[in-house]
Amino acid sequence: MALTAQRCEQVTDRLSGLVLREPLRRGWLAGFALAFALLMLLNVAIPWLLIRGVGIWGVNIPVAWGFAIVNFVWWIGIGHAGTFISAILLLLHQQWRTSINRFTEAMTLFAVACAGLFPLLHLGRPWVFYWLLPYPDTMALWPQWRSPLVWDVFAVTTYLTVSLIFWFIGLVPDLATMRDRAERPWMRVVYGIGALGWRNSARHWKRYEMAYLLLAGLATPLVLSVHSVVSFDFAVAIVPGWHSTIFPPYFIAGAIFSGFAMVLTLVIPVRAVYGLRDLITERHLDHAAKVMLATGLLVALGYASEQWMTWYADEPYDAFMSHNRMFGPYWPVWWTVMACNIGAAQALWWRRVRTSPALLFAVALLIQIGMWTERYMIVITSLHRDFLPSSWGMFHATVWDWATFAGSLGLFFTLLFVFIRLLPMIAIAEMRKQTTEGRE
Amino acid sequence: MSTPYRASVPTPGASPQWRSLDDLARLEGGGDEFPADASEWPDALSRRRFLQLMAGSLALAGTGACTRQPREEIVPYVRQPEALQPGQPLYFATAMELGGEAFGLLVRSDSGRPTKIEGNPAHPATLGRSSVHMQAALLTLYDPGRSQGLMKSGSPATWEDLLGTLTEQRARWQERAGAGLRLLTRRIASPTLREQIARLLTKYPQAQWHEHDAAFPAPPLPAGLRLERAEVIVSLDADFFGSGALHPRAAFDFAKRRRADHGRLYVVESTPSLTGAMADHRRALRPGELADFARGLARAVREPGAEADPWIPAIARDLTEHRGRSLVVAGEFQSPEVQASARELNEALGNVGQTIDNLPPAPGPRAAALPELARAMHSGEVEALLIFGANPAYDSPADLDFNAALEKVPFTLHHGIYFDETAGRCAWHVPESHFLESWSDARALDGTVSIVQPLIEPLYPSKSAHELFAALLGELPADGYEIVRSAWQQRPGGGGFESAWRKTLHDGIAPQTGTVSAPPAQGATTQIPPTEPAAFQASLELIIRPDPHLLDGRLAENAWLQELPKPFTKLTWGNAAHLSPRTAERLGLAHGDVAELRYRGRTVRAPLWILPGHADECVTIHLGHGRNCAGSVGSGCGFNAFALQTSEAPWGGRGLEIHKTRERHVFATTQEHQRMEGREPVRVETLGKPTTPPAEAAPAREETLYPNIDYGRPSWGMVIDLNTCIGCSACTIACQAENNIPVVGREQVLRGREMHWIRVDAYFAGSVEAPQLLHQPVPCMHCENAPCEAVCPVAATVHDHEGLNVMVYNRCIGTRYCSNNCPYKVRRFNFLSYNDTHAPQLALMRNPEVSVRMRGVMEKCTYCIQRISAARIEAEKEARPIRDGEVVPACAQACPAEAITFGDIHDPESRVAALRQSPRHYALLAELNTRPHTTYLARVRNPNPEIA
Repeated sequence: MALTAQRCEQVTDRLSGLVLREPLRRGWLAGFALAFALLMLLNVAIPWLLIRGVGIWGVNIPVAWGFAIVNFVWWIGIGHAGTFISAILLLLHQQWRTSINRFTEAMTLFAVACAGLFPLLHLGRPWVFYWLLPYPDTMALWPQWRSPLVWDVFAVTTYLTVSLIFWFIGLVPDLATMRDRAERPWMRVVYGIGALGWRNSARHWKRYEMAYLLLAGLATPLVLSVHSVVSFDFAVAIVPGWHSTIFPPYFIAGAIFSGFAMVLTLVIPVRAVYGLRDLITERHLDHAAKVMLATGLLVALGYASEQWMTWYADEPYDAFMSHNRMFGPYWPVWWTVMACNIGAAQALWWRRVRTSPALLFAVALLIQIGMWTERYMIVITSLHRDFLPSSWGMFHATVWDWATFAGSLGLFFTLLFVFIRLLPMIAIAEMRKQTTEGRE
Repeated sequence: MSTPYRASVPTPGASPQWRSLDDLARLEGGGDEFPADASEWPDALSRRRFLQLMAGSLALAGTGACTRQPREEIVPYVRQPEALQPGQPLYFATAMELGGEAFGLLVRSDSGRPTKIEGNPAHPATLGRSSVHMQAALLTLYDPGRSQGLMKSGSPATWEDLLGTLTEQRARWQERAGAGLRLLTRRIASPTLREQIARLLTKYPQAQWHEHDAAFPAPPLPAGLRLERAEVIVSLDADFFGSGALHPRAAFDFAKRRRADHGRLYVVESTPSLTGAMADHRRALRPGELADFARGLARAVREPGAEADPWIPAIARDLTEHRGRSLVVAGEFQSPEVQASARELNEALGNVGQTIDNLPPAPGPRAAALPELARAMHSGEVEALLIFGANPAYDSPADLDFNAALEKVPFTLHHGIYFDETAGRCAWHVPESHFLESWSDARALDGTVSIVQPLIEPLYPSKSAHELFAALLGELPADGYEIVRSAWQQRPGGGGFESAWRKTLHDGIAPQTGTVSAPPAQGATTQIPPTEPAAFQASLELIIRPDPHLLDGRLAENAWLQELPKPFTKLTWGNAAHLSPRTAERLGLAHGDVAELRYRGRTVRAPLWILPGHADECVTIHLGHGRNCAGSVGSGCGFNAFALQTSEAPWGGRGLEIHKTRERHVFATTQEHQRMEGREPVRVETLGKPTTPPAEAAPAREETLYPNIDYGRPSWGMVIDLNTCIGCSACTIACQAENNIPVVGREQVLRGREMHWIRVDAYFAGSVEAPQLLHQPVPCMHCENAPCEAVCPVAATVHDHEGLNVMVYNRCIGTRYCSNNCPYKVRRFNFLSYNDTHAPQLALMRNPEVSVRMRGVMEKCTYCIQRISAARIEAEKEARPIRDGEVVPACAQACPAEAITFGDIHDPESRVAALRQSPRHYALLAELNTRPHTTYLARVRNPNPEIA
């Protein structure tokens, strides 16, 4: 996917110019304002939560986990696409990833930041969250290692750390470019600090390439491990609908599925607004859509095997759970999941859909809704009717549940808008390599 | 010095009011009561001066709000009170009265504060067991909503003000020999109070005493049941396990019978009751049919013949085969005709003296009823009305129009524990002391008399009924203790009074006061019930009953009872109109519809609850809800069923119409699903048939990934016998009192966040028309393989060496994962700050041995670990193992049926270990391999082969 028509200088100039020269656009301002308003909603929702307690949400007994966990799993899943694109596709020499990897890595980072909020907020006493960490306390107390929530802490923090470093290492050559091109002295200083004294020497490049490759190697198992560990939160429990060995692969496929959907949801408007259609081409969209189709089919296989297992196992509780999801009080949830995640994804068989930004955008949105609903189905419809009919109940989200969810979207998009303004959203150094000039 | 004062003290009542001897001397000596300029406003008030004054008042008003609390020093006792060791609770015998009967209690006192109520094992009405009302009485004592001061026409007044007014009133009564003076009380159990009333009626011969108790209608003939002797019991709508005076003794005796050999219980009733749920055969009939059934049964026993109803000959045969060992009981709300049928049956079957004793009524004058009083009030005959404890402005039948009548009475006085509807309409309100604050005495159904001794000084300036009566009579002594003591001194009794008094106080019952049996009652008039107007024949029947927990509304302010799920419906914070599924279908009504109930020209809007097991073509509504002036807790919950009550048919009758409205109501229920879904959490076996093996047996002990831990001794466990559990929820509320469990309110119950550590699940099994009603108390199972423990990330829930699944509140961070993973859903989470830490009274109430949990923390049943610790400390002091039965959790202690047994399951001699060997023994969800330490004994049915 060489950019034969473009020269190195041209690419560098265009991409750095998006940050350095581009004036504040009204569209950006409007988007940022909306995102920031939602962020401020979070800014209200969180203090209120800390003042009153998690009771402001709709959680109850039996549904003791609600939107917080749904959102956590959803955001973590979205984060997966970035690492998948950056690390796995790098190792697989998929050159098309270069156009979107910086953007998706940023997306990963922000998604993980949003995800990380929720498990903390959902605690009854969030101010003692650090008890989850193994630190030498005076009472010689340790976390309880059998609990998947402890594994979660390690999985998510590791993931966040590696993603951050990976993203930052990839940024170093570009930050140097920005430093060199910035006109205002303070910008030069700021970018210069980030550039870590990058001088574009061959030795730098050698070390950089090695470090990047090693980090890619390190990040690759994380793609598999993080969501596996997150899925253990459910698989380890005995709740019908959770207690299933299919969860790790099914969750990973779902994560990449939803992650790519998020990538497309973001990239399609961005490439249109910033005129990057030649850098992020329809071929990129096509590839991303193919990954989505493949993972979507894996997810469908997951649903199918879950159904098959409930039939095969002949377990009354599981059989009831399965039936309850389809025809119980939460039936719209199950049918939405099926319609969005299996139904809508089938449109991607057609090349016309895969290469049409508008259609693809619509499909990607549907899939994101579907994947959020899937997590809702897993968390809530499993819990609301478990073993003893006497303790069955219902979950109704409150305004604060929605406010926190919307607020996390606000946080994500605020960070993303800031990122677009402050850093090159496409890896300049890597794009240079893609030009014919760069290849020589 | 004091001689001139004493000489000048006149007899009370004959002089103007004085506060102290100085005051009196001043009054007598003409001292100036109003010194010059003390309260006179300066004439020439300048603007500047006015502003100065206003500023000063404002500033002072501000400082008034922040009263500095007195600095309290911790000083050791100079003289140690007898038997008091700081930190060690003491127990005192006392008694409470409910519905005119005494219930003997043992009350725990921690550092001078009553903190837990239990039954007194020596008292015949309780035998150490208790009921929801006994348990909840503790909260009433500390209720911040109690009336906290004497009121005159809505503004605070003093006791001295009242004494002055009473002096004037007494003079008037004296003048007219008491004409126009009326007393209104609830049913009274106190012999001393009865004596005081008798004295009042002697002093003012024209005065009249009325009795009104909307929850406990006076029985025509008091009778004592001996359920333990009865092999065949027929209940004609008699809910002896419900809130009546027989509970908890009835449950205790019945359980004893069931444990010995099953016996058989037939229940014919209209509304599902706790008694109906225990039946081997239960039949839902509407009140009209029930009367026919009773008549038919009496006929069939008298002269066996063909009957239309196949149940009647079958039951009659069963009864006649068990002459002298059977029992027929008619409910207290049934018509005199049904009562007469029951009496006739018992006499024909020779049960009188065997399984049922006729008891003498309480001695003393008889009281008239409320309607006569209302008539007199309306006609203006009543000049002074003194209301003791009753709340007729709320709990009287609507046709009496009591509130309008009250306005015609010139002098009204209300004595009650709350400033309720009646208090607000009376000229005077005197706060009543709680029974844990005042001296009294009380007579049980069988004549046993107990002394009610206080455990705490009155929290507010309140007076007991005795003290107020002394003031009414102008008698001395005026102090509750002296009144009761002197009344007892006057009663005949051998030996020294002091030792007898002390022994009675200690034991909780007076020696030899219980009467065994009275001669068979003669002249039990069989009244012909008034024939109902033909217009009503085709309509629905209305059934009015007291609420199972709030009774007639007197306990509406008690948040524990408001939040205690009601039997079968598990409804909290409100009431409903109950009707059967078939009737609802016929009328096109759905569960949760709000309907207008029109009954004999009166209307009330009520939400509908479709209750399987309810008789067709009738509707049951419960009293005690919809109060306006019950305080912040009890006001505005549910609808007021008194609006449909009439004095001629207080418990309902024909003539009801239901009109659906468009409104819908959401019930705050703690159990939304009452089918068992084929999971059989409650197992039911049939007597004589081999036990069916459970569908899926528990996996072998070895089937676990974690190492098997062998617990030594003791290893605590609990067995709950579903065959004797009557489902009364005494365990739930006992647990709430013992373990400082907060109430959460209606909104939180709607969200599914009630906090009860032990709940009573209710299930319906079988057909919708004639379902079997089942109960199951569910506390924490203390699983050996506890699913909650494995998933807690901070080890806040762990197993201890005695096999307990313990919860470490301090360590809990509130992930709630444990609750998700608990298959029994017995864990409770403090989603918000549920514990009221602001009311100082509630702080006094709390059990000091149990932590008060903050928000964000999980909690659950601990098997009353504080009681285990106390027993362990005692055992270690004596260097011996803990004895079987030494540890009794609050639920087991309260259980009137002794259905909960607790002990060391590894002790082969223990009662729990023996019960765990029973063929009826099973573990809930055993197939999950949780190895619960709380297990169950299956329910047994003993059907009559002729009916089944």
